[in-house]
Order: sequence, then C-alpha cells, then structure tokens
Amino acid sequence: MLHIESANLRVWLAFLFLLSLMIVALLLGSVHVPLQALWDTSSPYHEVIWQLRFPRAVNALLVGASLSLAGLLIQNLVKNPLADPYLLGVSGGAAMVQLSVIITGLSVTSLTLFISGFLGSILATLILLKLSYVGEFRPNKITLNGVVLAFGFAAMISFVLATAEGHQIKSMMFWLMGDLSFAELNVLMPLILVAVIIILVHQSRSLDILARGELFAQKSGVHTKRLNLQIFIVTAVLTSMAVAQAGTIGFVGLIIPHIVRIMVGYKHRQLIPMTVLVGAGFLLIADTLARTIMSPIQLPVGIFTALIGVPVFIWLNRKV
Amino acid sequence: MIELIHTQVFQGHHLLVDDLSVTFQPGQFWGIIGRNGVGKSTLLNVMAGMSSECQGKVLIDGESLSTINHRQRAQKISYLFQQQEPCLPFLVDDAISMGRYPWLTTQSEDLELVETVVRQCKIDYLRGRSITQLSGGERKKVEIATCLVQKASHLLLDEPLNHLDVVYQEHIMKMFKAYSQQNTVIMVCHDLQAVQKYCSHVLMLLSNDCYLQGTSATILTAENLERLFDDNSENH
Repeated sequence: MLHIESANLRVWLAFLFLLSLMIVALLLGSVHVPLQALWDTSSPYHEVIWQLRFPRAVNALLVGASLSLAGLLIQNLVKNPLADPYLLGVSGGAAMVQLSVIITGLSVTSLTLFISGFLGSILATLILLKLSYVGEFRPNKITLNGVVLAFGFAAMISFVLATAEGHQIKSMMFWLMGDLSFAELNVLMPLILVAVIIILVHQSRSLDILARGELFAQKSGVHTKRLNLQIFIVTAVLTSMAVAQAGTIGFVGLIIPHIVRIMVGYKHRQLIPMTVLVGAGFLLIADTLARTIMSPIQLPVGIFTALIGVPVFIWLNRKV
Repeated sequence: MIELIHTQVFQGHHLLVDDLSVTFQPGQFWGIIGRNGVGKSTLLNVMAGMSSECQGKVLIDGESLSTINHRQRAQKISYLFQQQEPCLPFLVDDAISMGRYPWLTTQSEDLELVETVVRQCKIDYLRGRSITQLSGGERKKVEIATCLVQKASHLLLDEPLNHLDVVYQEHIMKMFKAYSQQNTVIMVCHDLQAVQKYCSHVLMLLSNDCYLQGTSATILTAENLERLFDDNSENH
C-alpha cells in the first residue's frame, strides 16, 4: 500500500518540477529576461516570452510526452526493450514526404510540413500494418518488418539528400536530427494527447496484464487482438504527430520509458502519467540547452537528447 | 462442465486428435496422459479457448467456447501454462493479483483473496521479490497461486509438477484435489503415480484416433499402460 502511495507522490512531485522547469525555460535564451516580464505587460520582453519562447516550450513538452508515451506502448506491444516509436517506420515515412516537400520548394511552412509529415507517417504505418497481418494482427512481426522498412526509407532519404542543392541540405539535416524551431502552436496535438492519456489510464490494468505476456493476457480474459491493434494505432498517431511537428528526435522514446520504470515500477496507472511528465520535461531541458548553449546559434535538439539521456540512464541503471 | 463433442484438434495442417468426445464434470479431477507429441497440451489449449485450430464442438457450461466473451471465459477457465513467458519484473503480490482481472471485484476483496491463497500455497516468503528473480520452482508456485485466485470453475493444468520438489508436489496435489470438490480440474501429467493417487478420472491418448477414458481404476490397468508404452506398437 505504501509503495503505491509513494509512486503517486512521485508523479505529483514530477508535475511540480515540470512547472518550475517551464518557468526557467521561458527566462533563458539569447536575450536575458527578468522574472517579472512573465506577467508585466509593459516589459519589452513580455512579447519575447509569450510569442516566441512559450510556443516553442509548449511544443517541446507535447512532443516529448508523445514520443515517450509511444515508446512505452511499443515496448509493451512487441515485448522488446530496444523498441522505440520509430520502429513503426513512421519517422522514415514522414521524413521522406517532408524532405520531398522541402526539395521541391513548393511551400515550406510549419503547416505544410505538419500535414506532409502526418501523411507520410500514416502511409508508412499502413504498409507496416499490412505486412504484420497474417490472417490476424501479429505484433511479433512488427520488429523485423519495421526494421527492414526503416532501411528502405533511409535509402530513399539518402537519395534525396544526395541530389539536394547545397543550401537545402542544412535545413534537411536539422529536420532529420529533430528541430523544434519551426513548429507553431497546434491546437490538435494537446487535445489528442489528453484524450490518449485518459483512454490509456482507463486501460492501465489490461496493459499491466499484457506486459506479463501475450498468452498470459489472453488466458486472463484480455481481448488481446483488440488491445494490440489499439496500442498500434495510438502509438502511430502519437509518433506521427511528434514527427510532423518536430522531425525525428531520437532517443526520447527509447530511453524515457526505461528511466520511468526505474522511478515508479511497472504498473501503468503510475507509468503512464509519469512517462508523460518525464518525457515532456526531458525534451524541454534538451531544447532549452539546444537554443541557449551556443546562442545566438541554435543547435538541433536531437543532439542533446542523447547527450543528456545517455549519462542519466547509465547513472540510474547502475543501481538496478 | 466442459464438453468435447466429436472434436478434432489440429496443429497447422497436422491432425493431432480426431473425433474425441468427453465430458468433464464438476467434482471430477481428470488426468490426461499420453506419450510425447500426442497432443495433450494442444488439446488443453483448445479447451482453454486459446486455440481456434479445432473442429467439432467445445462447450463450456453448454455455451460454445468460441463465441463466449473473453472476460466471461476467464471467469470460468483458469489455465496454468507449462512454460512461462518472459516478462517485466513485477512484484510477486502484484503478479498474483493479476489473476483477479476477469472479476470486477473491489481491490480489498482481491487483496484478501490473494492473502488467503498465498498462505495456502506457502509462498509468504516470496512476497516483496520480483518474479523474474525467482527460481524455476518458485516461479511455478507463483503462477499456480495466480491461477487459484482467479477462482474459475475449471482449472486446466499443463504439467503442474515440473520444477517442484517432492514435498511441495504432494502439497499442491492435495490442494488441487480439494479444489476439484466443487470445480472441474483437468491436468496433463507425466507422473503416473500422482495421477493414480489423486485423479478421479483419466483420459489416455494412445494415438490420434484412439483414446481410453473412464475412472482412474478402470483406465490405469497394467494392460492399458503396456499399450501406452509399447514401442513396437503401430502407434509409434
């Protein structure tokens, strides 16, 4: 009993930590901003905070939360600790279509990138779903098919890069390493994320049982076929949104679920909210570093997710 | 009550069990015996509703097993696997209470039941540990406890004695016997002495279309056992 309460407590502490993190992130940047500029409308920095930094910080939170949650789900679905959301081929599909849009130079706005990215990822997901359907949906087929599919997309991306003009390559590289500077606030994303969290918390007991084993879940009365398909769709939507919004930010979806399991244990009722909070906070820290560490030069956030994530994970894992 | 009516069981395209009709009643403790590969586990899988590779009728309390809702099925059938799947390191208590999933009972009811079963199974000393750190035998005890808290009216056991020490084998067989007073217990087992000592009924699978069924005393005769283990017979 005590264990459950302390896990809940950790979720609340993480929430408070995230709030203070948000404030710090708003104050840091190329221009130094005093604290009262947050609420003082007459301050010259008021606009910098609310028009520039706030949308970007919110996007970091949303993308970080989506990727981490998608990672938690996919690891349960394919029963493989090395699985990450990009296993679904989503990143390759999205990047393919987005880079094609950039290279044709049709119109590079955050909206066209979002739409093309989303379409590309849905396309890739449908291919993978088709490949993993042998009479019925077989999650164990995803791993190998997903990896193979990702190689195919990688080849096409390399082709696009090799034939691109010099000035386009840099923005493409940013996109491939993940970049939050493009993104504008998107109303759809928080709505979908909240809906997904509510659905998943409601299903948390079934998700626990599924983590005990596919056959175990089946014999215990879980409708595993339906649940597996649900997880697949939710993971694809979360990942597609994240990639469409910010490119392929690596490492978050792979490692945050592991970090969170070390923190709160293996029950999804705590795992889900904690994964959302830690994932969101982690990407916010990484993005804040990406835009401040060499300011005014901005670096791709993907560099920092791994640079921070690797030592944090090694440190946490040594006790386990 | 589980009824098999002219049931055929397949593994892929291979016909394992042909035209089998048996009725498993409450109050009976069945032992299913037979040589390796004759289809004992596959048959158990079909009876648990885990495999659709069968033809003919499989009824649970008069209802077709293939159309019954998953949760209702798990309220009626609890199934102990021969082998455990790899899984996350859940705590022993959490793992056992997962057996309560099919029932929408309150948490305090579930905890009380877990408490009782843990005591009955003598696994108090395992609490607080994670299931991936247990020995093969200890893990088996936890899986048995998980099946028992499920409180299903049918208990299907696939070689429940594997990995267990002799003293505990004795203890757990007595528990299954007690469980079968009001429920149906069906056990696949290679330990013929245990079957003879505890089972009220036996289903002997001789080949894919030859079966013997009845009370233990009538089936476990020297003549039948000789047929079962005769390597020169055309069955093998």
